[in-house]
Amino acid sequence: MTPETDSSVASLAPFMNGALVFDEGIPGFPEARQFVLSEFDHGGDFRVFQNLDDPDLAMVVAVPWLFFPDYSPELTDMEQRGLEIEAPEDATVFCSVTFDEQGGYMNLLGPFIVNSRTLRGRQIVLTDQDYPVRAVLPFG
Amino acid sequence: MLVLTRKVGEAIVIGNDVIVTILEVRGGQIRIGIDAPRSLPVHRAEIYQQVTAENQAAVASAGEGTELIKSGGLTLRRPEG
Repeated sequence: MTPETDSSVASLAPFMNGALVFDEGIPGFPEARQFVLSEFDHGGDFRVFQNLDDPDLAMVVAVPWLFFPDYSPELTDMEQRGLEIEAPEDATVFCSVTFDEQGGYMNLLGPFIVNSRTLRGRQIVLTDQDYPVRAVLPFG
Repeated sequence: MLVLTRKVGEAIVIGNDVIVTILEVRGGQIRIGIDAPRSLPVHRAEIYQQVTAENQAAVASAGEGTELIKSGGLTLRRPEG
């Protein structure tokens, strides 16, 4: 099952008001549990994904299909069931962005998958799919 | 790190429900079978480590990134259509 490839930024809108719960933390931050997604004042494509208990644990994220329209991450049956995802529209997907002097890079190997009903999520390390952990974002 | 020596066909039990079995040794490679609850994710270490490292890098560069975004210093070329 491939999550719905809705490139509309509005697909992150349901999360603006609630905390997202990651029961198992995320790789590198196994104790982190509750996160929020915040917009920038000017709006735009990016969000800040921030831990409620440790505000320094924050990263810039965005919906991957805005930049990589062919991206099709596949979740295993267990991964879908663990997040109670029964249909593509149950899943909302965003990916982290890392910055350096040269530009920005999106982690397509480890997308954040959140169930839009339950607000529970996991960062899934994709298995058997060779997506880059640093996909270059095209700055023009 | 706990270090055990096993022969092909022998296994290791971790906790109550994870079993790691040495299936085959051929050339420089070892085939390993893993019996674990299906809810427990299992990954090649270097792949998992890549995501861990990238999360840390994303957090470390978030300040720089948010400044770039707020200052409008980022112009992203979006795919057409």
